[in-house]
Amino acid sequence: MRRTLDLLYDAAAWVAAASLVGVLAMVLTAIISRQVGIHVAGTGEYAGYLMASAGFLALAHTLKHNEHIRVTLLLQVLRGRGRAAFEVWGLSIGTLLAGAFAFYSVKLAWDSHVFNDISTGNDATPLWIPQLSMAVGTVILLVAFIDELVLQLLGRRTPAPAGSEAQRIE
Amino acid sequence: MSDLAITLLLVLSLFALLGTGVWIGLSLTGVAWIGMQLFSSRPAGDAMAVTIWGSSSSWTLTALPLFIWMGEILFRTRLSQDMFRGLAPWMNQLPGRLLHTNIIGCAIFAAVSGSSAATVATIGKMSLPELEKRGYPPDKTVGTLAGAGTLGLLIPPSIIMIVYGVTADVSIAQLFIAGVFPGMMLAALFMGYVIVWALLNPSKVPPADRLMSFTEKLRESRSLIPVVILIIAVLGSIYTGVATATEAAAIGVVGALVISLLQGSLTWETFRTSLMGATRLYCMIALILAGAAFLTLSMGYIGLPRHLAEWIGSLGLSQFWLIMSLAAFFVLLGCFLDGISMVVLTMGVLLPTVTGAGIDLIWFGIFVVFVVEMAQITPPIGFNLFVLQGMTGRQLPWIARSTLPMFWLMVLAVLLLYMVPEIATWLPQQMRRSA
Repeated sequence: MRRTLDLLYDAAAWVAAASLVGVLAMVLTAIISRQVGIHVAGTGEYAGYLMASAGFLALAHTLKHNEHIRVTLLLQVLRGRGRAAFEVWGLSIGTLLAGAFAFYSVKLAWDSHVFNDISTGNDATPLWIPQLSMAVGTVILLVAFIDELVLQLLGRRTPAPAGSEAQRIE
Repeated sequence: MSDLAITLLLVLSLFALLGTGVWIGLSLTGVAWIGMQLFSSRPAGDAMAVTIWGSSSSWTLTALPLFIWMGEILFRTRLSQDMFRGLAPWMNQLPGRLLHTNIIGCAIFAAVSGSSAATVATIGKMSLPELEKRGYPPDKTVGTLAGAGTLGLLIPPSIIMIVYGVTADVSIAQLFIAGVFPGMMLAALFMGYVIVWALLNPSKVPPADRLMSFTEKLRESRSLIPVVILIIAVLGSIYTGVATATEAAAIGVVGALVISLLQGSLTWETFRTSLMGATRLYCMIALILAGAAFLTLSMGYIGLPRHLAEWIGSLGLSQFWLIMSLAAFFVLLGCFLDGISMVVLTMGVLLPTVTGAGIDLIWFGIFVVFVVEMAQITPPIGFNLFVLQGMTGRQLPWIARSTLPMFWLMVLAVLLLYMVPEIATWLPQQMRRSA
């Protein structure tokens, strides 16, 4: 079970990373095709879809690496039971919101499919296809939150030390 | 419910969620949800999904993951060694000597990196031990490094400028170009401070290294040439309008990979770690942006930004006091939020107020970056301070105290920027004219 879940998060993250390479490829295609004088339709839209895929599919993996930021001022001063209580609170709210996020993301992709929504850009992609990344990514995020919550309740959650990676944004 | 009650309720729930350690992006989503449920008849869930999809897949944002990746690649090259070796010989004769390698090194790295913590980490990796070995006063070494690291945000490319540009709907390319002169001005202020300090305390400055001849210096610096070419390619293509910010970012990623390859530091391992690091970093920001997009939508339904703008407008504040109170508000908010969350959280609400006061949005973007930078080097949440804490093993209060002079210099810089707005707006105007 443990191994299957970790594999799930990592596999999604690999697809996310591949999507990031895809964003680069799309933008480079746009640049090169303009230089050569060929028109390749929809590179901008595809780059956008791939970026969305890079973001959504990495959600769970990033959570597991403890790199989604949160305000830890209160958590840091608490010890023992008080801290555990707030961890459970944070994870429960997180699970709840991730649940809503996942439900409506799946619904969005489903609705786009049913109503046959087509991108208004010049790529004319049926929108449910790129929206799948959002649906899948948010569902995996929900799984990861439930996973974390269960581990916390069982007292087996060992949060990684606050990542140095997260500090590199600013 | 009256406006005031609505505002109080939302602000309180936001602070309750954030304060109890709920992830920032999700907290924003939660508050937006409450707002939508209470004050609009539109189904909250569907609105959320559509809005988040739209903002997460928008073309203008694609510059963000690419610039993040470029920084992650360069972070894993030998750039920090090259930077110190290439700069040190030139700084020996200046009063303050090698302390200037911190400032100029940060300014140069800032031009290829969009983050100030990465800038501090990259430059400090080499300069902290080297300066300590030579006997420079540690508080000056750490202070100049933390201060100059903030140039990472101001000198383009800049992650926070992309975030601001997307939230405020301002051209990212113009924001980037607008940051060039303010960044150089701030670097000059820092260097001026070091020079004055060194002239007043000559006994505290260690002796110079062996002086080199001009050609020797040039030889030491040749490893910096690829970086300079990369800077010119990225910024030059944006300024001349040859490339959009996104395209310049793509060129930057390729350039960074080439530099890394030429140096021999490009292995499968470094490629993989830089790619995964960039993916996670982008994902973290993407979650915050997603929550912020939904919150902005929800705020729009409630009409909060408009009401706030009308209320502040009715106060009859002069532009100066408006700017100063905003600066104080941001620095206060920066006590417990990071810069990106701060920008997305406030811009959704403040934008009508700012435009209503007749403030130029490009100028305001640079102003916001300055203020975020100041928050970056003030405790309790100051990412630059955290990085330096990790690198030096010293206590946070000591680091914050060493950085204090730089903080005052930044206050001075903000005042200068207010009095002479052309520092930020002149270059983008030239760019618009030539385009």
